[in-house]
Amino acid sequence: MAVAVELRGVRVRYGLLEALHGVDLACPAGRVTVLLGRNGSGRTTVLRALAGDVPVSAGQVLREGRDVTALDAHRRAAAGSAYVPAERGVFGSLTVAQNLALSGDAPVDRWFPELARLLHRRADTLSGGEQQMVAVGRALAARPRLLLLDEPGRGLAPAVAARLHGALFELAAAGRTVVLAEQAPLPSLQRAAVVHVLRRGRVAFSGEPSELGPAGGAGGADRTGLSL
Amino acid sequence: MPGTLDLSIDLALAGLAVGSAAALSGVGLVVTHRVTGVLNLAQGAQATATAYLLRELVVVRNWPLAPAAAFCLLVAAPALGVLLDLAVFRPLRRRDAGQAESMVAGIGVFVLLIGVIVLVWGTTPFGDAPALVPATVLARPGGHALRLDTLVQLAVVLGLAGGVGLVERYTAFGIRLRAVVDNRRLARLAGIDADRISAAGWAFGSFTAGLVGVLLAPLLLLDPYGLPLLVMATMAVAVAARLRSLPVAVATGLGLGIAQSELTRLRPGGQLLPLAQAVQTNLFVVALLVAALLPWGHGQDGPGLATSGGRPGRRGSSAARTACAVLLLLPLGFRPEDLRHALLVPALALVLLSVVVVTGYGGQVSLGQAGYAGLGALGTALLMSGKVPGVPALSAVPALLLAVAATVPLGLLTGWPAVRRRGLALALVTFAVGTALSRLVFDQPYATTGLTVSRLGLPADDQGFYLVELVLLGAGLLLVRSLHRGPPGRALTAMRDHQAGASAAGVDVPRLKLLVFMAGAGLAALGGALTALAQQGFDATAFDPVQGLLWFATVVVAGADSAAGAVLAAALLTGLDAGTLPGVSAVVVGALATAIGRLPGGLAGLARRLADRPAPGLTPLGHRLRRRIAERSR
Repeated sequence: MAVAVELRGVRVRYGLLEALHGVDLACPAGRVTVLLGRNGSGRTTVLRALAGDVPVSAGQVLREGRDVTALDAHRRAAAGSAYVPAERGVFGSLTVAQNLALSGDAPVDRWFPELARLLHRRADTLSGGEQQMVAVGRALAARPRLLLLDEPGRGLAPAVAARLHGALFELAAAGRTVVLAEQAPLPSLQRAAVVHVLRRGRVAFSGEPSELGPAGGAGGADRTGLSL
Repeated sequence: MPGTLDLSIDLALAGLAVGSAAALSGVGLVVTHRVTGVLNLAQGAQATATAYLLRELVVVRNWPLAPAAAFCLLVAAPALGVLLDLAVFRPLRRRDAGQAESMVAGIGVFVLLIGVIVLVWGTTPFGDAPALVPATVLARPGGHALRLDTLVQLAVVLGLAGGVGLVERYTAFGIRLRAVVDNRRLARLAGIDADRISAAGWAFGSFTAGLVGVLLAPLLLLDPYGLPLLVMATMAVAVAARLRSLPVAVATGLGLGIAQSELTRLRPGGQLLPLAQAVQTNLFVVALLVAALLPWGHGQDGPGLATSGGRPGRRGSSAARTACAVLLLLPLGFRPEDLRHALLVPALALVLLSVVVVTGYGGQVSLGQAGYAGLGALGTALLMSGKVPGVPALSAVPALLLAVAATVPLGLLTGWPAVRRRGLALALVTFAVGTALSRLVFDQPYATTGLTVSRLGLPADDQGFYLVELVLLGAGLLLVRSLHRGPPGRALTAMRDHQAGASAAGVDVPRLKLLVFMAGAGLAALGGALTALAQQGFDATAFDPVQGLLWFATVVVAGADSAAGAVLAAALLTGLDAGTLPGVSAVVVGALATAIGRLPGGLAGLARRLADRPAPGLTPLGHRLRRRIAERSR
């Protein structure tokens, strides 16, 4: 399984606090990788480090074997990655159509037919769930080879979230790499190739979803015997 | 009355010259602010620098006007904008610095550019700045002279504003630009090179600034101080447009230019005449005050100025305190002429402390502290000269105390607007109040003539007076300390770090803000009054709004929440000016201010980081030696 993107010994600091203490993790190409962990475990920071949204104080970020640690966020995006943050993922002063056109021209109505009637509305007049659709839609419109999503299901109706997860697996089947962060393992993500469980800024568990056991992410982490 | 109407039309046409320059300045400020999030306080200096460069090329080096203008406006000015972005503002963006630090950097650029202008071209005013467009009369419809330069200026303003609007709305670059304006971080994540767009914004802002300078210079004498201040007053235009709307900026600029011209006809009799004249000459200042005081949609929030998460380093802060004590006691052994300069140190320290209280502790940006210092000085002078109706001439101590007591409630002038404003909106109100006080109160005939200030009732010799100053500074420091420790200190810190959170935790934020601004006004007034007593006279220029900007920058550079830093800065500023040339201190502060992007927390932050650094470890040789010594002693 080729590795699409990888962190090697990555440390990230926010001021005096260190959020990631030397994290090593790899995400296979053309598959779905899920990052699990409680609040403050470093899930979002891992995604941000992959996207180039935070400076890395030590370690390397590798993309298809190439060191991209020093590459700016916009260059990484231009090189085919897209990141959907958990909140404020839309440009509020632009219309939905402009939001989508900003990234690319791939049609997104297949995944979010709801957006078709909202194209001329300003994004900040939409509801939270609709904004989340625009945010994910904007990422999909760019036809990214690497898609990074932070809790993409947040604020979406369960049916829409399940449809979104289905879409992510479709994308992976078409050769794209998907990395998403969630608080807890969701049934619709059982087909993921790899799960990394983060705990207090370290990787506590890496493996297949089936190895996690019924207790979920925390249980998997406990089974590894790591307590920090 | 056809004669009156004709006069009105002629005046309006004349007012369009200043009006279109003001509109252009507003367009530049609005565009720069929208694209970069920074209110370009250095615009006046950029305008002046470009005007000087054009004069140099055309008058001194005999370039033809067209290529010289093209070089100045299309090459030099945009290049300066890009340079400012790269060297000064990009490092600030990189670490998400707040509004206040961006303003400090802008003030630094302003001071440095003016310093360079003085260095290269001197302070002698030039009356021969070349006009871009000749003032040929094109036509005389109805007997009114329609001049080519007026028409061209008007066309340029409307064309630029319209062009910017069209680009934003209908081009891919415009959509990307709006995305950056909306959410810079997200735009970068969407693959947009936000830095390049900011650089373009700075280049455009610098180009308009240059155009404003080149257009205004022929209308007045070209000197390093007048033109930048005029351009600064045109900030009213951008403020009225709420730093967003280009049509409002254009309309306000033209409207104010015409209004100023028409007001020359207004000649009320008696006591009102000086007031009318003051309003007419300072119409842009009045407009700035009105525009800033009108309600804003919503204030912008920015992070506080204190070094976040920094534990006060014990080694660093005690060293700073010792240095303060030594520097303050040193002048007691000075020769008389040196001691005279040192008299300004405690006075300036008190003014800087007022900024520490308002901005460093309270997190409220205040650019107008010079106004309060001036009020303290003017009040003391008026009371001592017996110019206040119903009050006999007082001696120094009661006059000083009364002046300070009268200024404290005036802290509400900026405190009250601060209740509903934050960040940039508040900074503009405080700057407007300071400017209005300077122009409409201090610069008036009653304040500039016939005032006597003496040290009646205080020790007449400088040494005794200096001791009195030290006692008052000590009292000020105690007040500042009481605001920084215990429950009030915690409430202030909470308000600075997170206003909504502080409210939710039971802190009475509006009351606290009023208190902070009143304490700040009192401290500044005390400092101002001591300045007047030290110099034995009231000097309106000592309380100029630009001085207020410089003091604000000084405090932020020294470390906004460091009282010891403020006292040290006062000693160093006064020492630099007295020991070298006047103005050197401003250039030093300016240079440090432009580097604020690489200096989080100012010099106090740097000192803290150095003090918190772990003690240096042993080299391998040292370890070997230590082992050797341990073995031998066994």
